[in-house]
Amino acid sequence: MSLTGIISVVLTASNLGRKFGSRWVFRHVAFEVGLGDVLVVLGRNGSGKSTLLRLLSGLLSPSEGSVGRPRGAHHRVLGYVGLDLALYPNLTAREHLEIASELRGVPPRAETLLERVGLSAAADRLTGEYSTGMRARLKLALAIQPEPAILLLDEPTASLDDAGREIVRSVIDEQTGRGCVIIATNDAHDRRYATHELTIDG
Amino acid sequence: MHYVLMVGMAAATLLAFLVPDADQFQKPELARIFFFHFPSALICSVFIFLSGWFGFWLLRTRDMKWDVRNAASVEMGALYGVFTMATGILFSEVQWGTWWQWDPRQTSFLLVLAIFGAGIAIRGAFSDERRRATISAAYSVASLLPSLFLIFVFPRLPHIEQMSFHPSQTVTGGLLDGWYRVGVLSVGFMLAWLTVIVYRMRVRVGELEFQREQFDGSLEAVGGGAAPHRVVRAVSVSEERRDTPQEV
Amino acid sequence: MAEIWTVFRKEWRGEMRSRHGIFTAGLFSLLAVVAIAFASYGQKPSGTILAGMLCITLLFASVMALPRTFLVEDEQGTFDLLRLISEPQPVFVGKTLYNLTQMLVTGFVLAILLIGFAGLQVTVVWLYILALVAECMALAGAVSLCGALAIGAANRWILAAVLSVPLLLPQVAMGVGAFRAALGEGTIAGGTQNVLGLLGFGVAALALGPVLAASVWKTE
Repeated sequence: MSLTGIISVVLTASNLGRKFGSRWVFRHVAFEVGLGDVLVVLGRNGSGKSTLLRLLSGLLSPSEGSVGRPRGAHHRVLGYVGLDLALYPNLTAREHLEIASELRGVPPRAETLLERVGLSAAADRLTGEYSTGMRARLKLALAIQPEPAILLLDEPTASLDDAGREIVRSVIDEQTGRGCVIIATNDAHDRRYATHELTIDG
Repeated sequence: MHYVLMVGMAAATLLAFLVPDADQFQKPELARIFFFHFPSALICSVFIFLSGWFGFWLLRTRDMKWDVRNAASVEMGALYGVFTMATGILFSEVQWGTWWQWDPRQTSFLLVLAIFGAGIAIRGAFSDERRRATISAAYSVASLLPSLFLIFVFPRLPHIEQMSFHPSQTVTGGLLDGWYRVGVLSVGFMLAWLTVIVYRMRVRVGELEFQREQFDGSLEAVGGGAAPHRVVRAVSVSEERRDTPQEV
Repeated sequence: MAEIWTVFRKEWRGEMRSRHGIFTAGLFSLLAVVAIAFASYGQKPSGTILAGMLCITLLFASVMALPRTFLVEDEQGTFDLLRLISEPQPVFVGKTLYNLTQMLVTGFVLAILLIGFAGLQVTVVWLYILALVAECMALAGAVSLCGALAIGAANRWILAAVLSVPLLLPQVAMGVGAFRAALGEGTIAGGTQNVLGLLGFGVAALALGPVLAASVWKTE
């Protein structure tokens, strides 16, 4: 289905389905997301919102259907923030950004990104000493580092304070200028960003 | 066709018992176990190659049909490996009076069996079928080189070969007695035929299992198929509603 | 190439901060040598027996220590992050090179301790060193591959060992052939042949590993 106002399609999901064991989490999910779109994925716990985002990120392979992403190496095209994504406890925030930039082949922008997510003061502390909210901010910085075309946010504001939520909001605003955002959430506040909604009822 | 196989198998087995005794052995009449031992080892080796080959194609194409074939090859290879080992151990006891004597071929075949065992262990370790398929395939490809070494190189290394009790020269050097050549070829051919049939059945079962898993548990639907699913699509949100928090 | 170096440095930095791997590898080598010396108390084991013991110790050192570089990513949940920021090949090669370094350190500590504690007498030093390097290479290559395959398995540590050992035993056999020649039993030509075989295995594992790791870790 083509959504209203799409100038160019950034991401497509065709007949997407995923099962674990013999149980299907969902089937026949289809959409196209275009430049500037913010798709909010809704659904109760266990309906498969996070699974859908993992499929779109390529971390999980679909049991049926396919995901269409822009050409180019996935680690430069895609940014992903997930609750289940962990950081290296014995590396600092700055080291995370430096290593990620070297592996991705993009400029590190460490200072800019750390300032953007409010971690400049804690840049040289090991992330093992970070709070959950600080880790969420660093994951956000890592996700936007390559200035990706697709930004996938799984419960992005779950562990963030008001200042953190404001950072998420500004990141989403900026992202709509260069690509698309897909947010999986249960938070009513996150729905305000939506240009499109998708409800999975599992 | 299956009747022909049955009759042929019976005839080959009968022939195996009718050929003259092999005089050079301790118990000449029992040397007939060779008719089953040798083809089993060959068939087992073929399955090692097949498993690697199917693994390669799965990794290339991601088509699950190769996983079904890989799984069948690993299982059948393990089965023939066990059969080879069992007949070898039995004959070892009859001929040399000991069940296990660390004969290089016996030992290297034990390791080949361990590789098949590891291949089976992988299949139990991953619940996700696609992940299980790719990991099994990768292991099948990775174990090709050590398996080849164990089967073809290690027992032929000069200082190892001289320790072996295996009458390999008799077979490879064309020194096999005429009757025995006929016997081993007959049994081998029938065994290979049986293997092809069982293998194809196993592949068919695997494919049916895979198809069944594609259903989503709604097997009661009329006509036997899965209940139809509605397509989940995204809907656009009106401008007025944007930026106003909504209750979920 | 730069990415491989980055992965290697990441492993090294993590190791320097925890010192988990080096400490346990050092302790393992010492305990293994003490166990060998204890088991052969008052005896003079032959070169072949000592070569066998050395190879078995190296085998278990590798199977116990090396999958960690891969499995720890799985356990602490960082494997997904790594897949999101990198291609699989440099991750595999970088980690394998780190494993090789760790294995070489363990191997040389073990080899020296064996000479000191267990009365190991090396007659062909260059062959001894060459065999050690080749054995470490072959073990590091194969165990890294198995560690990479065991990621995500329910019983990953045991699975990594179950997958590795059958693949490693041919290398142990060749290792024994090479070491016993270096210890004065068997011919130097035979020993060199075994070293070449080991190098062949190591190179094959290093060549095949990244390809297989890439196809298994592929982000769809």
